[in-house]
Amino acid sequence: MTDLQESPRSKPVGRLLPVVLGITVVLALFAWLVLPRLRPHQFSGTVLQSEVPAADFTLTSANGPVSLSDYRGKLVVLYFGYTFCPDVCPTTLSDVNRALAQIGDEAEDVQLIMISVDPARDDPAKLAEYVEFFNPTFVGVTGTDDEVRSAATPFGIWYEAHDEEGASGYLVDHVATLNVIDREGRLKLVIGYGTGADAIAADLEYMLR
Amino acid sequence: MYPEGQRVKRITISGALAGLSLVVATTAVSCSRATGIEVSEAWGRPSPSVATAGAFFMTIDNGSPEDDALIGARSPACGAVELHESYMNDEGAMAMRPAEGGRIAIPAGGSAVLEPGGLHVMCIDKLEDFSEGTELELSLHFEQAGDLTLNVEIREP
Repeated sequence: MTDLQESPRSKPVGRLLPVVLGITVVLALFAWLVLPRLRPHQFSGTVLQSEVPAADFTLTSANGPVSLSDYRGKLVVLYFGYTFCPDVCPTTLSDVNRALAQIGDEAEDVQLIMISVDPARDDPAKLAEYVEFFNPTFVGVTGTDDEVRSAATPFGIWYEAHDEEGASGYLVDHVATLNVIDREGRLKLVIGYGTGADAIAADLEYMLR
Repeated sequence: MYPEGQRVKRITISGALAGLSLVVATTAVSCSRATGIEVSEAWGRPSPSVATAGAFFMTIDNGSPEDDALIGARSPACGAVELHESYMNDEGAMAMRPAEGGRIAIPAGGSAVLEPGGLHVMCIDKLEDFSEGTELELSLHFEQAGDLTLNVEIREP
């Protein structure tokens, strides 16, 4: 009497198949969930290696003098703009506000300072009202032309007023980057204009670690 | 005429009327038209009252066979309204200039998108509150299509 042929499924290869499938699934999950966290953060901004703290400045806010060094221990996001700016500045300040909302509680350790590149039209009270519209923690500062220029130059912020035909009066062209200073006062990250709230939040969150 | 023919005729007319009402209804709800020009997604960014200038953004579609252009605008909410464009200059700085030739072209069958960082309708000397949820009246003047008045909502993008 012949033995019944073993069916293909009961051969050793057949028994291994579910095991192989199982391992593949686990590896795929690992790749999908764990590997991204092991990769270094991809910054949207440009990372700088500064050996010394950024040049300090003291400018005037509605609440008195404000120095960059006042905020040592926090991240400072420095932005150069002006209140007459209809598009670029509101967009950027609104994006930073949204980024801070995304970050949540840790956003307490992020201080946005806007330096006005239009001291002739922007007085401290006007600046305070302007920046606080976007977020009540934002601080706006200004000074004399020389003081603002001295604060801007070490950060490589080019700006220039130019006259405009029409009703707008003069406009100020300005580098619209967000300059992020770390808790030790060093310029660490320059985030370009138009980066968007999500990417800003991701970069700041990483720096807050 | 056969009874069936009459019935088909009635169905066709009712269908056409229903279709037309639907088109009119959706048009009235979502966008504004002026002979061939359709403005949709119009919005203005919320802006503090100390800010002298504000900006409106929108998509303009030209469904007509003629090229057209936005050549001006007015609003009771603004002392003056101008067409501007944000751009990045050679120094890497953000700057603004009047729209080229003082007009925003919308080619036949094409569209123009006014969005942050680019073309926008600039409101100079804001006369009303640009706070979230406010609706402001804006009249756009087109070279071919003439005037189109719409309500723009102030909101986050």
